[in-house]
Amino acid sequence: MKRAKNLYSYYMIYPALLIYSIFFVIPAIAGFYYSFTDWRLDRLELQFIGWDNFKKIFSDKTLILALQNTAIFAIVTVIGKNVIGLLLAVGLNMRLRTKNLLRAIFYSPSILSILVISILFTPMLRTEGTINNLLEAVGLHSLSQAWLTNPSIVIWTIAIVSIWQSAGFQMAIYLAGLQSISQEYYEAATIDGASSWKSFFKITLPLLLPAININLMLTLIGGLKVFSEVYVMTGGGPGNASQVVGTIILRSFGEGNWGLGTAVNTLLFVVVTIIAIPLLIFMRRKEVTE
Amino acid sequence: MKTHKRKKAASIVLASLLSISLTACGSGGSDSGTAAGGDSKGAKVTLELAISKSSQDSAFIQQDILDEFEKQTNVRVNLQLIPAEQTTTVLQTKLAVDETPDIIQYNLASAVTDLNLERNFEILDNEPWASRIVNKDVLSSGGHLYSFHVSQDTGMQGVVYNKQIFEDLGLSIPTNYEEFLAICEKIKASGITPVFMPYKDAWAANIWPAAAFADFVAKNDPTFFDDLNSNKKKWSDIPEFKTFLEQQYEVYTKGYTNTDVLSDSYDMAVGKFLNKEVAMMFMGDWLIEGVAEQDPSMELGVFPIPSSQDASLGASPLGGQLFIPKKSKHLEEAKQFLNFIASKEVAQQIVDSKGYVSNFSDVTTPELPAYKQDIVDNYITPKKTVLTTDAYMLVDRSELYRLLQDQFAGGLTPEEVLKAWDEKFSQLMQDKGVAGF
Repeated sequence: MKRAKNLYSYYMIYPALLIYSIFFVIPAIAGFYYSFTDWRLDRLELQFIGWDNFKKIFSDKTLILALQNTAIFAIVTVIGKNVIGLLLAVGLNMRLRTKNLLRAIFYSPSILSILVISILFTPMLRTEGTINNLLEAVGLHSLSQAWLTNPSIVIWTIAIVSIWQSAGFQMAIYLAGLQSISQEYYEAATIDGASSWKSFFKITLPLLLPAININLMLTLIGGLKVFSEVYVMTGGGPGNASQVVGTIILRSFGEGNWGLGTAVNTLLFVVVTIIAIPLLIFMRRKEVTE
Repeated sequence: MKTHKRKKAASIVLASLLSISLTACGSGGSDSGTAAGGDSKGAKVTLELAISKSSQDSAFIQQDILDEFEKQTNVRVNLQLIPAEQTTTVLQTKLAVDETPDIIQYNLASAVTDLNLERNFEILDNEPWASRIVNKDVLSSGGHLYSFHVSQDTGMQGVVYNKQIFEDLGLSIPTNYEEFLAICEKIKASGITPVFMPYKDAWAANIWPAAAFADFVAKNDPTFFDDLNSNKKKWSDIPEFKTFLEQQYEVYTKGYTNTDVLSDSYDMAVGKFLNKEVAMMFMGDWLIEGVAEQDPSMELGVFPIPSSQDASLGASPLGGQLFIPKKSKHLEEAKQFLNFIASKEVAQQIVDSKGYVSNFSDVTTPELPAYKQDIVDNYITPKKTVLTTDAYMLVDRSELYRLLQDQFAGGLTPEEVLKAWDEKFSQLMQDKGVAGF
C-alpha cells in the first residue's frame, strides 16, 4: 500500500520532466554531439571530426585570451560581490535608523537588468565621461582612465560594474542568513567575554555558511557564464581585449562556425561543472546546523 | 501489475516527447501561410519578407507599395524585422533549418560569403524584368542574376566632407596624403575637429583600408585578389598595405580626430556634422543621405581616400537587394512581388522618391541630389571608382575589423594587424573548405 502511494507521487514529476527534457536535456545532448562535428551553414552534411574543434579552441590565441578573461572576471566578481555583500549585510543588520532605506538603496541595482546597467554605464565610463569628471572634481586626476578602451583594464572595469550591480542581491541573501541566527548565541558569547571579532568568526561565519554557499555558487556560475555586460559595454573589444567565453561563442556562430561554437559552449559547461560540483560538496561538508 | 503500469506511463511519456520534438522540428512553419489571413477567402497568401532593422527605411517596404500590391494581387506581405547586429545569424539559421522567408533583403557581396548564395537562392535570369536591367553586374554573381533592385547606385566610400567649411577656409580636395595632412592642420587651426573617427564600431575603421587597398591593387597588382583567394599571396605580402594602415593611425596620433575614437560610435556622426563640430569622416555616401534628411541645407560631398596620388573613389558592393530563397513556400507569389516592383510605374515611383540612378531601361533617373550628381560626373562617368576589398573577401570580416580597432587601442602595430588577419583569413578559408588552404 505504502509503495503504491509513493509511486503515485512520482507520476507528478512526469510533466515537469517532460518539459525539462524537451527544453534542456535534448538540446544539451544534441549540442554535445554537434561539438564533435564540422557543423557549418555552407556544409550541412555533418561530418564527425572528433576532437578537432577542441584542438582548435586551444590553439586559438583569442580563445585562450577569452578563457583568461572569463577566469579573471569570475574570480574578481566572486570576491567582490561576496565581500561587499557580506559587509553591507553585517552593517545593515545593526540597529540603524536608516537601515530599511539603505537596504532598499543597495538592493535596487539588482532589480534592473544588467543590460540596462551596462547601457547606462557605457557613456559614464568614456574618457570624458562622468566617472572621470567626478574623479577630477575631487582632485583624483591621476586615477582617471580610459576605462572601456584601455585593453589592459577593460575586463576589470566590466567586473566592477557587475559587482556594483549585484552586491546588493548578495547582501539580501546574507541578511536573510544573519537574521536566522539566534541572538542567544551572541548573548552567551558576551557573557563568556568574547570580543565582537571573535563572535563574528566563531558564530556568525560558521552559521552563515549555507548563505555563503549559495552566494558563492551563484556568483561563480554567473561569473563563468558572463555575457551581457561584455556584449553591451564593449562587444569584446577594443580589438579582442575583453572577449569572454560567451562572446566567443557568439563570434563563432557569426563566422558560420556552428560546430566550433557548440564546442566552446560544451567546454564552458564542462568547466563550470568541474569547478562547481566539488566546491558545492566541499562547502556542504563545512556547514553546521544550529 | 504495478510495474506494467509504470512501463506504460513511461512509454506514453516517451511517445509524447518524441512526437512533440518531431513536430517542433518538422512542421513548425507549415501553417503560417494559410493561418495568417484568417478571413473568409481562406486561400489568401501571405509572403514573409525578412529585412534587417537597419534597412527599415528601404524603398521596397514602404507601406503604400505593399498595400497596392495586396490590392492588385490579394497577396499580403508580412515584414520580419531582424535586429541589425543579428541579421546574418538569424538568416543563416532560418536557411539552415528550412524556415525560410519568401523574400530576403540582403547585400549581394555578403550573401556570397554569408548565406551560400548558389545553394540557397533562385537564379532570376529569366524573370520578365531581367531584360530591362541596364547594369546587370551589380545584381549578378558567377554570371547569374541572383538579386533584384531598381537602382544601380552603389555606396561610395571615401572622405565625406563639409563643403562649406572647405570653402570658408579656402581648401580644395587633396590629391595625396601630404596634401590631406596639410588640410587637417588648417582645419584644426580653425578650431574644428578635422576628422571624426567612430571606432567603437569596429567596421568604421575599415573604410580607409578597404578603399586604399583596393585602389593600390587595381593599379599595381590586378591579380592580387585571385592570388589571395587561392592562397598564393597573403595580405602581409604588400608593404603598401602597412603604409596605408599607418597613415590612418597617423591621422589620429597627430591629433586631427576626436579624442575618444574608441568610445565614439557611428550613430553620433550625423549629429557631429549637423553641429559643424567636424569637417571630415572616412565613410560612405549614406552618411550624406542621413545628414540631408535632418538638414537639407547642409552641403556635404565625398572625395577618394587620399592614400596615394590621385586615388579612385571606393565603391562598396550594392547594398540591400531582394533575394528569393529556393525553399520559399510561395515561390510564384514572391516572383510576382518582384514583377510588381519592377513594373514601370512602381519602379519610377521608387526611383523618384529616393533619388536613385535607375537600373531599368524604361525608367528615367530623376534629378539627383547635388552630391550624387558630383559623384556621377567626377568619378562614375570618368570611371574613377574601384570596388572595395569587401567585394573580394569570401569570409566573415568582423575579425579584421576587430584587429583594426585593436591598432587604435594600442594593442597591435599595422604589421601585426596584417599578420593576424592572414592567420585568421586562412583559417576561415580552410573552415569553408576553399581549395589551396
